[in-house]
Amino acid sequence: MRLLVVEDDLEIQDFLRRGLTEAGYEVDAAADAASGENLALEGIHDALIIDLGLPDRDGLELIARCRAQGSQAPVLILSARRSVDERVRGLEQGGDDYLTKPFALAELLARLRNLLRRSSPAQQESARLRVADLELDLVRREAHRGKRELQLTSQEFALLEYLCRNAGRVVTRTMILDHVWRMRFDPATNVVDVHIYRLRSKVDHEAKQPLIQTIRGVGYVLKTS
Amino acid sequence: MSLKLRDALRSTAAWRISLWTTFAFAAGTAIAFVIMYVLVAHDIQQRTDAWLSGEAEVLADVAANTPRDSLYDRLVEEVAELASREVPTDPGEKGARKNTVFFLDARPGQAPIWVGPGPMDSFVAAIRDANLVPGVPQTIHVKGWPEPFRAVFHVNESGGKLFLGFSDLAATDMMHRLTVRFLVIGAGIVLLGFIISSAGAFRTLQRVERIAETVSQIGSEDLTRRVPEGSRNDEISRLSRTFNNMLDRIQASVRELHVLTDSVAHDLKSPVTAIRGSLEVALSEANESTWRDTVADAIEKLDRLSQTLNTALDLAEADAGALQLHRQPVDLGNLLRQLVDLYEPAMGERNHELACHFQEGVIVDADLSLLHRVLANLLDNEIAHLPPSRSIVITLRGGESQAELTVEDDGPGFTPELKDKAFERFVKGEQSTGHGLGLAFVHAVVRAHGGSVTIKNRPVSGAIITLQLPVMSVAIA
Repeated sequence: MRLLVVEDDLEIQDFLRRGLTEAGYEVDAAADAASGENLALEGIHDALIIDLGLPDRDGLELIARCRAQGSQAPVLILSARRSVDERVRGLEQGGDDYLTKPFALAELLARLRNLLRRSSPAQQESARLRVADLELDLVRREAHRGKRELQLTSQEFALLEYLCRNAGRVVTRTMILDHVWRMRFDPATNVVDVHIYRLRSKVDHEAKQPLIQTIRGVGYVLKTS
Repeated sequence: MSLKLRDALRSTAAWRISLWTTFAFAAGTAIAFVIMYVLVAHDIQQRTDAWLSGEAEVLADVAANTPRDSLYDRLVEEVAELASREVPTDPGEKGARKNTVFFLDARPGQAPIWVGPGPMDSFVAAIRDANLVPGVPQTIHVKGWPEPFRAVFHVNESGGKLFLGFSDLAATDMMHRLTVRFLVIGAGIVLLGFIISSAGAFRTLQRVERIAETVSQIGSEDLTRRVPEGSRNDEISRLSRTFNNMLDRIQASVRELHVLTDSVAHDLKSPVTAIRGSLEVALSEANESTWRDTVADAIEKLDRLSQTLNTALDLAEADAGALQLHRQPVDLGNLLRQLVDLYEPAMGERNHELACHFQEGVIVDADLSLLHRVLANLLDNEIAHLPPSRSIVITLRGGESQAELTVEDDGPGFTPELKDKAFERFVKGEQSTGHGLGLAFVHAVVRAHGGSVTIKNRPVSGAIITLQLPVMSVAIA
């Protein structure tokens, strides 16, 4: 997978390049709209990450031009502007998702995966999720760890399902809130953590290999082995 | 000199105002006088004309019925009598001129009879020029006489003409005196008017001047000074009050700005210092596991910092009236249940008992994501500030026009100083570890939705926060 990052702040560009490379992507980078446009029109990128505040041109214009010249690659917009209208405008101009600065790299990766999945042919939605010795039956809403059936509330099941779908990848508290509770805000207290503790006490109870792991400062990850 | 000039320039408005009033006043007086003058002069002339016509008829009658020889003497007598007729003048007045009368009897083929104050020729010339109509008094100007005469003539049966003229010198003098007196008294009155109006204008404008001076000083010195308002309730007092209100607002904003900068200095600088410090210490330590902890800690602190920034920006937007609401119908009960679902475990962790009484079907027209944040703020507050093992009661009631949401606890409640300004930015309790923006944000968002927030303490112990939001519809229970 090859990505193009158009970002004029070289420090952000650098950490994006490093983070994305580490996540297994090939990364090209441009610091202004003109060179970004040239690279984008080569048509070799699977997704574009475009910052809105570029020195020579507005990022929205860059997106519109790329779209007008036939670029099909999904676009993830980065912006320091927070207003909802800005977000709506970004998505109208041809952007596919929108992330405000500052953001967690984990969230950027998750959104990117989402975009790449959307643009690739749809996969067969499986009725079962399996991670290590954990198994979720999505139809009957049942979860098993090994042979033991887990007694989960529907909320806990939804949380575990989200972790399973992102197994091996870090999810932030904000991402969990967004996907499990459908709320977009940063809680000032440990509300999400308490849910995780409870889930962990059920999933990892007396297990030799705890699956739900805390990544301090970032969020949680469900280990795959 | 320059001071005087500056004063004069400054006072131009007062000058203009008093000059215009004086001018208007003088013009008004003059017009009134002219009207009065014309009326009086007209009156006098009518009286003169009536007298003249009557006398002329009598004289014509006499001339017709008196033989030529004896006529002359009779006429002289009559004319003398006429001439001595007094149009009432003050007998004591010196230099008062007698009225002047002339009489001319001209018959074809006979020597004219002339009685008058001077030689006949100039009068005859004047009569000729005037083209008199018989029986109608007319004004004629005689050469050598400054005042005009009123003259009338009759035509005899024999074709002779009889002229009678009269110059009412006493009346002319009276009118003349009237004019002079008017000019003197009028000028005095106008001067007085000018003095009074300019004094008034100066006094009034001096109050404006004082306001201007105070305001200019306030701009450069301190904001605590106020413009004198005065006891009257006139325009200037209102201007002063408007200025003072504006100054109150400016002072409040400046105070808020101070609080804001102080708080930003504290709330942003101390975490930055802490993060920077711990990273620096970690750098000098060779222990890799400490590095991990430090970095994770730094990220958490930075996340909170960016939250503070976001909330502060949202608040600034809300205060500027620029908070964009993306309204949609929101079922408050459902929303609350979702949030309670999210928060209940964290509350249980602290052994709080949570009781919920939600009326069904209370719909408000609101921005969902802002409402999420508002309610999360309230619940976060309960978790952060309530001592362990307390009870929290959340109640939702839908009234006719307002939905009322109360969050009640049996904790220590608000301290008195906090209670009064809990909605101000960066105001927080002493033990609070938050950024002091939570309730300010709640307040701003609810107000942007046209609702209100009140906080109070329970009689025994505990706090009650009440949110009121305009309701869209309420299901009938």
